[in-house]
Amino acid sequence: MSEEGHHPAPVSPIERRVAALEALLTERGLVPDGFIDEITRRYESEIGPMNGAKVVARAWADPAYRERLLTAGTAAIAELGFGGAEGEHMVVVENTPAIHNVIVCTLCSCYPWPVLGLPPAWYKDPPYRARMVREPRTVLAEMGCELPGDSEIRVWDSSAEVRYLVLPERPSGTDGLTERELAGLVTRDSMIGVARL
Amino acid sequence: MSAPLSLSELDLPRRNGELVFDAPWQSTVFALAAAVVDHAFAGNREPFRRHLIAAIAAEPERPYWESWTAALEATVASLPERQTS
Repeated sequence: MSEEGHHPAPVSPIERRVAALEALLTERGLVPDGFIDEITRRYESEIGPMNGAKVVARAWADPAYRERLLTAGTAAIAELGFGGAEGEHMVVVENTPAIHNVIVCTLCSCYPWPVLGLPPAWYKDPPYRARMVREPRTVLAEMGCELPGDSEIRVWDSSAEVRYLVLPERPSGTDGLTERELAGLVTRDSMIGVARL
Repeated sequence: MSAPLSLSELDLPRRNGELVFDAPWQSTVFALAAAVVDHAFAGNREPFRRHLIAAIAAEPERPYWESWTAALEATVASLPERQTS
C-alpha cells in the first residue's frame, strides 16, 4: 500500500496516473469499449496455468508427444491450441531425479503467458530475479522446495527470444490416472520450477 | 542496492489461480498496455518491453506495476502526435 498521510486522498498518485493514461488513450481511440474488462477477464480466467497443466499431462501420458515437446516446444504446445503473444519461442526443460530446472527473467518479467497466465507477484520482484540466479538452492528452499544435495539446479533466464517452461517429474503412484486427472495435479509453481509435485 | 528482501518475508502464493492484481488500477494499466501494443503498434510488443526494462532498471526496487505504469507513460509519450484535420 502507498503511504498514507493524515488526510489520505481518495485516489493515490499512481491511480491518478493510470486514470490519466486511460483518459488519454481512450480519447485517442486506442481503447475500445469493454476492452479493459475483456483483457482482464481473459487473463484471469481463460489463459493460465491450466493450459500449461494440460501440456504437462499430455507429455506424461504420451511419450511421442513428450519427445515433440522437448525438441520443438512451440509447435507441440500449439498442437493443444495454445500460443500467441509471449508464447512464440517456447523451450521446455525436463526435470529428472538428478536435474531440477527453474525459470526466471532477470531483465523484467518475460514469462510464457499463454501456458502459465499472468506471472505471480513474486516472479516480478527484484529479490527473486537476482537471488534465483546467485543462490538458487537457498531461494528454492525458502520457497519450500527442498532438493537433494547432489542434484543439479539449472536456472533458465527467459527473454523476448526464448520462454521456458519446466516439465515437472510425474509423481509416483499416478499410473492409473487419466490425462485430465493428471492435469489436475500440475501446479503453476511446478512449471516455473519453484515447487516439486 | 539495499539488502535483498528475503523471499520468505513475501506473501508467497502457493497455489494456482492466485489473484495477480492487488488493486483495480493494476489490471487497468495492464490492459491499457495491451491496448497500446495492439492498436498503436500493430501487436509489436518490443517498444513497450524496452520501456519496461528501462523503467525497472531505473528503479529496481519500485513496485512492479508502478514501473509498468512508468513504461506505459514513456511509450505513450513516444507516440506521434495525433493528426488533427
